[in-house]
Amino acid sequence: MEGQLKEGSMLTSLSGSKYEVNKLLGAGGQGEVYSVTCGSTQYALKWYFKHTATANQKSILENLIAKGKPDKSFLWPMDLVEQGKDSFGYIMELRLKEYKSIVDLMKRKAEPSFYNLCKAAYNLTKGYQRLHAMGYSYRDISFGNLFFNPDNGEVLICDNDNVSVNGKDDSSVYGTPRFMAPEIVVGKAKPSRNTDLYSLSVLLFYMFMLNHPLEGKLEANIRCMDVFAMNKLYGTNPVFVFDPVDKTNRPLPGYQDNALTYWDLYPKILKELFTKAFTDGLTTPAKRVTENKWLDTLANMMSEIIICPNCGAEIFLDESKESLGVAHTCWNCQGVVPVAVSIQIEKRRILINQTTKLYLHHITGNYDMESIVGSISVNPNNPKLWGIKNESAENWTYIKADGTQAPVAPGRSVAIVKDSKINFGQYVGEFK
Amino acid sequence: MEVEIRRPGGELASRPLHFFWMVDCSGSMYGEKIGAVNHAIQSTIPEMRDTASDNPNAQLLIRTLKFSTGASWVTSTPVPIDEFDWEDLDAEGVTDLGKAFDLLSAQLTIPPMTDRALPPVIVLLSDGCPTDNYKDALNNLKHLPWGKKAVKIAISIGQDADDEVLADFTGNRELVLQANNATALTKMIKWASTAASVVSAPASRVVSASAGDGSSAADTLLNKDDITAVSGSAPLVLDMNNIPDPDDVGAGDVW
Repeated sequence: MEGQLKEGSMLTSLSGSKYEVNKLLGAGGQGEVYSVTCGSTQYALKWYFKHTATANQKSILENLIAKGKPDKSFLWPMDLVEQGKDSFGYIMELRLKEYKSIVDLMKRKAEPSFYNLCKAAYNLTKGYQRLHAMGYSYRDISFGNLFFNPDNGEVLICDNDNVSVNGKDDSSVYGTPRFMAPEIVVGKAKPSRNTDLYSLSVLLFYMFMLNHPLEGKLEANIRCMDVFAMNKLYGTNPVFVFDPVDKTNRPLPGYQDNALTYWDLYPKILKELFTKAFTDGLTTPAKRVTENKWLDTLANMMSEIIICPNCGAEIFLDESKESLGVAHTCWNCQGVVPVAVSIQIEKRRILINQTTKLYLHHITGNYDMESIVGSISVNPNNPKLWGIKNESAENWTYIKADGTQAPVAPGRSVAIVKDSKINFGQYVGEFK
Repeated sequence: MEVEIRRPGGELASRPLHFFWMVDCSGSMYGEKIGAVNHAIQSTIPEMRDTASDNPNAQLLIRTLKFSTGASWVTSTPVPIDEFDWEDLDAEGVTDLGKAFDLLSAQLTIPPMTDRALPPVIVLLSDGCPTDNYKDALNNLKHLPWGKKAVKIAISIGQDADDEVLADFTGNRELVLQANNATALTKMIKWASTAASVVSAPASRVVSASAGDGSSAADTLLNKDDITAVSGSAPLVLDMNNIPDPDDVGAGDVW
């Protein structure tokens, strides 16, 4: 494959670093990506085509390079490289091969657990939130830009050269059809933070449901899916596949089975968010689900997975079922799944099984689902008795059901007993 | 967390995307021209595979039709891009374009076209004038429902091709690409091969250069007022900015 740059050629970046062009890795609509070496480190170089190497694009890059990446989940422009007046490109880190794309998720080539799926969704949402907090809008959320590690839920958001300041129309990129908000499809609006929220909800729906939220019978009825048909389906006449009132676009059995299979596997809290996103959220940008709402729900889901004692499948706890006295059934073996003991801190509930970790978010609600503050330990004298081990640097206080208290220093464990509590300092958790 | 139980369900539902290479194998294509075509089409395969694997909404299926004295299918059935290998074509005979259109029409009726698909893409390569009555066959093709919806691109090889015929086929003069030497031919074929990815996920950029009237709301790609739909042709979604400049290629023999 031949590209614009020759293998072995040397380029110097604006910061003075020298890069040797190794290999053309691929090409997209805007430019080509090469692997390059600087010293002993390998990087990636995106090199624009003549017609996309505009002054506008260059100034966008200069701004992005100066500001730096929103958080670790981003593959971000690091350095600018020019060659004469005609062309330029930017340096970024290389994406490691452990990362698979969302396309692989759709094609069932990357198979995360439900837990890691939730984690990836959580990390993507958090990344976009950081982007928005910096005043940027993403504009081009699509399958090809997003990568995740199926083994641990870490993510990488790529193709960040079109990131722009919210509201300002810096570049000509509008989005990929199925992800574009209806108001953009019909030409009434330009990309913004609100249209990003729509694209995010589509992405999350795809990840959890392996189906597009607007592709049901109405999509199946379309013979030739051309631009006019897409206009109508995603723009002028969008209908949610599980719209509570309008049932005309329900998924067609035999064709859109994923939507039918997955919808009832998830707890009501998630279904409610999707429904809001694709009813009110379709036509009223201000009513779209915010990143914090997604994060609250996804963190809850990550913490409320029950492992089926019969076959080991992951089952999501549905609190609405619990309050109705309805038992949980395993989607894999159809066995009854008992709800294990849990600890409840404010609105956050964490089901306890042997691999459970307590994160800072669980205690404080600060959305940090990385810092571990507690883990499960087994009582050395009685293997049937489990405890929570204090992995934080703070002292906890154990409060028994009868009111007596005992300190739990870092490194110590406290028995998990129904109705007893742990005072973490800021908040109190109760075992249920 | 070790998980042995795979999440349920299957792949994302997708639609077939039928891509046709229609190659003029008449005597005038003999030698350098057909050699360049063979090489160029073969070289598109890796990238078409990459692009297809990035697009879960489409199943890319390729077919090859050759025409000289008579016309025939090189591929007996649609071939998934991952299994598609190019077999070199030879050149001799006349230019029975009409017969080629007839064969194509037979495949674009329902059946064998299925209930649901993406717009088909047809790339016609020719260096000369049709020697049979092609007009009726072309009209027939253009009136078929799938014929109307197909994105049609023509590559005019050398100076002797009848560009009127090719423009009649594509319905849009801009989609008749000129190739006067091997390098240009390779670039045009490569550009045409990218039509598949555009059709399944129309490019995310503004199509019409805004006339500076400030009414940017009308500039969205999917706004149908913006799309030039000449009668008989599919809506223009290809990125015309990206077409290689036929003069901007290395000097070589001009045909």
